[in-house]
Amino acid sequence: MSSNRFDSPLTPRHQLAVVVVAAALIGAVFAPIVYANANEPSGTVAVVEIEGPVNTALADDVENELAEIRDNGSVEAVVLKIDTGGGAPVASERMYKAVQRTSEQMPVLAAVQEISASGGYYAMAPADDIYVLPTSIVGSIGLNARAPQTSPPVEGPSGPDKAGGNEIEGWARQQTLADTFINAMMAERGDRFELSREEVAHADVYLGTEAVQNGFADEIGSLTEAVHEAATRAGLESYSVDTRETGPDGGIPFLIRTDEQVFAVYSNDPGYGDVEPMGVAYVHLESVPHIDTVERFSEGSLPVDGEAGTAGTADPNTTSDTAPASGGVGA
Amino acid sequence: MNHAERLATAFVATFAVIVLAATVAGFVATDGAAPAPEIENEHFTDENLTHDRTPGEADVTMSSTQPPRTVLVDPGIETAGTVPANPLALLGLGGPDVADRDIRPLANALIENGHEVRVHTPPAGQPTAPRPGATRPAPNQNGAEGTQIPLDSELEEADAFVTFDSEYSAAEREAIESFVDGGGTVVSMTDPDEAFDQPGAAAFDSTLGVSTEPGYVYNLAENDLNYQRVYAEPAGDSALTDGVDRAVFPTATPVGAAGGEEAFRPIDGSQLSTSRAPTDAPLLVENGGVIKIGDADFLSPENAQRADNDVLIGNLADALVTSGNGGARPPVGSESTQTSSDADPTDGPDTAS
Repeated sequence: MSSNRFDSPLTPRHQLAVVVVAAALIGAVFAPIVYANANEPSGTVAVVEIEGPVNTALADDVENELAEIRDNGSVEAVVLKIDTGGGAPVASERMYKAVQRTSEQMPVLAAVQEISASGGYYAMAPADDIYVLPTSIVGSIGLNARAPQTSPPVEGPSGPDKAGGNEIEGWARQQTLADTFINAMMAERGDRFELSREEVAHADVYLGTEAVQNGFADEIGSLTEAVHEAATRAGLESYSVDTRETGPDGGIPFLIRTDEQVFAVYSNDPGYGDVEPMGVAYVHLESVPHIDTVERFSEGSLPVDGEAGTAGTADPNTTSDTAPASGGVGA
Repeated sequence: MNHAERLATAFVATFAVIVLAATVAGFVATDGAAPAPEIENEHFTDENLTHDRTPGEADVTMSSTQPPRTVLVDPGIETAGTVPANPLALLGLGGPDVADRDIRPLANALIENGHEVRVHTPPAGQPTAPRPGATRPAPNQNGAEGTQIPLDSELEEADAFVTFDSEYSAAEREAIESFVDGGGTVVSMTDPDEAFDQPGAAAFDSTLGVSTEPGYVYNLAENDLNYQRVYAEPAGDSALTDGVDRAVFPTATPVGAAGGEEAFRPIDGSQLSTSRAPTDAPLLVENGGVIKIGDADFLSPENAQRADNDVLIGNLADALVTSGNGGARPPVGSESTQTSSDADPTDGPDTAS
């Protein structure tokens, strides 16, 4: 029997105590690691924010975030947190394509906050489902643009369309732009719309309660509910939420409009280079603040070849003669 | 191999293994975006998506062989753009080009067929009514201080009257009514926004015995490059519809006339903005010597090139020189000595209903 015992001054009972204590100490070291591993969510749901005017900066961020998400093995689903009245056509198309690519790889849901209209609706259309709150606003599938005008002769340019245009050619271009948007929406959600193409082309907006009935949205639900549903569709029993903010800091640029057109303003104290007329826009006009005048910036009034610019909007008396170098907006 | 050599060999071998392992690992675990999924968006490549941007061509011709007539034009409002029309531009005396060019297809057809086109300008001190919403000051009836002639005097010299205006004083409306009663032809063109901007439109419509519907006509299913640029087709056979299969009215409002003849209606699928319901209300009506058109842009150079607008403009020019003579005296030296009462109604298309 003595051969089975360690040759130690400790009694067998003491030896047992030492072993237990040592095991406890080692266990205490590994326990948090094991606990953390056992308790770790099985995946991540990324919430990508698409808020404010649709513009190049926003599209840059959304494209980059969604590209990173597609390459990130831990992200299993995406929810687009949408709150925008639209904006630039190209930026809208870029986000549309990015969402479309992502939805090929994983569940993508859209959760509309206050509004997702025009270019915002364009961006989220490829999502698997659209969640809205009862008073959210969605729709406005169409193009905002000024009526094309034939330009008077301009001396200097190398061709007639370089610094001018033909009215009919302008109408054709604008209608092609509008149909590009409408056709894309019919392709994405035509089987869910309860409206005909012509009815969709009216570009109306709908409250969430109506949108889930006419197919412009799919579910009444909050962002949290959309996140949970996205996780469920990804097969996640537990999940973490990774919120990705997009767009420029500080809330600019922002959109304003006159009676004639929409402008993107890139500064809270805009100068000449900070106000950009948007000849065409996928934007829901009612969501854009209206002002009386934008001095010197109406597209049709920009000076050509040294020609003195004139204010193209509203009462000329409201246009300062000293404005051409600085521009500005006024209510 | 001595000890130093063994150490050097061991160093090189170890370094090479580490660098090689790092290289292989770098290739295996390449950073960067994975290839994006291939997505076919046929709706972007549909060959029917791009609209034909060919402006088209116009050939405005008149069939009337009537002797020279005098057509008075009141540009009144701007017919396009944001710049108020300046009647002087129609005379080639400067001012915005928009008013001049917008009526050129009609004016040129008349001029090239030997007829006279005059432009009404307000008497001195009575500026052209700017839009939107401005009202014209009370006219200077004596006109003695100005170089321009009051409307009633100009109408006495005219056979036909084309107006884009609707704000006339009571005296002017009375003169226009007398002109119509005397056999003169009046063509009144209006735009939908006039219902919002022009306070006097109803009074002028009443003078002519015509009506204008608030709202505009649109067609999302079939149109000329925009939902508001609606197609209209003849509602029956008349001199105005002769040779016209379809016309384009860029900003159309329904018009009517008690007992009048409907000449053009919007095509099927057209709707009215105020009701969002289908409409076939006429866009062009004739009521005796009065022609009311619910559009003021269809005869611009660009729009004259669309559909059969050039034919319609030619028919309109024929109507202006054919059907009446409100008070015109033949120009001095004219070969014709016809007056309204002795003009042969069979000489040209009869536009009177």
